[in-house]
Amino acid sequence: MVEKTNTTNPTKSCITFISRSAPYGSNRANLCLDMALACAVFEQDVNYVFLDDGIYQLLKGQDGAAIQNKTLGSALETLALYSIENVYVDQQSLKERGIDAAELLPSIKLIENDALSRLIKNADLVFNL
Amino acid sequence: MKFSIVIYAAPYSTESAASALRFAESLIQQGHELYRLFFFGDGVHNASKLTVVAQDEINLQLQWSKLIEEHDIDSVICVSSALRRGVLDQTEADRHGLGAASAYESSEVAGLGQLVDASLHSDRVVNFG
Amino acid sequence: MSSLHTINRSPDSKLLERCLKVINADDAILFLEDGVYHCILPTNLSAIAETVKVYSLREDMLARATLSKTKDRVEAIDTARFVGLCCEHEKVVSWF
Repeated sequence: MVEKTNTTNPTKSCITFISRSAPYGSNRANLCLDMALACAVFEQDVNYVFLDDGIYQLLKGQDGAAIQNKTLGSALETLALYSIENVYVDQQSLKERGIDAAELLPSIKLIENDALSRLIKNADLVFNL
Repeated sequence: MKFSIVIYAAPYSTESAASALRFAESLIQQGHELYRLFFFGDGVHNASKLTVVAQDEINLQLQWSKLIEEHDIDSVICVSSALRRGVLDQTEADRHGLGAASAYESSEVAGLGQLVDASLHSDRVVNFG
Repeated sequence: MSSLHTINRSPDSKLLERCLKVINADDAILFLEDGVYHCILPTNLSAIAETVKVYSLREDMLARATLSKTKDRVEAIDTARFVGLCCEHEKVVSWF
């Protein structure tokens, strides 16, 4: 796994986002995504990690329209369009919730605690919600 | 040292906004620089000036505004969070044909780019939610 | 690159448990707001590695009548020291 690490370039920092909240029930997942997209637009190095209930954001087949909402799952598919390629999901969080990686949106790397620990340690900044 | 503070929490609902205010006051008192306050999500309610509180209670919004003015702090209310929550400055109120501005003039309504900028130019970013 | 982890919810939130899964040995933990309730029961704190310093915000403990119940493992600090801790660690990771 290639992890982006902090850099001395003052116009670029490495920012790790930890998205720990389920979609729809609160806006925390959206806030986290909005921040990450803004960082990507301004060409920051972004790591994006789905942890705990945050993994529910990745389930295929969401239909936000059923509750007059935008579908967050579709928004997440745009991460790659913003050059956010380091997208991870915590394997243990999946297991604890009985979710199989096959049920998730594609292109997301499985991660474990040690790797997440490094993503926190090596980042210049961590947003965690 | 140069700090920025991100506030996600509405005033009064939880203690977080009050904690953030105490933290901000303390760092300034110690001679550190507060590069930017960024009010995000429900945090934008901290910039609302249309509030009345009981005389023996702290008016958090007023305290924020006093601190911002007294120390000439760059304070930003996230535009996308603010508009949908009815926290508008005069410019936004005029633009959308709404009767009144509700945000303290001490804060500026701006986008997430200001958060990215704060991330790049601060030694520490501290989140309160 | 050590981090200061802040936790502002009570033990019911399981935020400490989560934080401990990813914490590094030279990091520190600060409990504030309802997080200070962690500090009155040794079993809440027993899983924290000895290398990890543990702090709790005095103002929040005073408000909640927990200061005298706080265990020796925990150092009570004021907000000014909280700012100082932020300077001593390269970044702050807030769990809320």
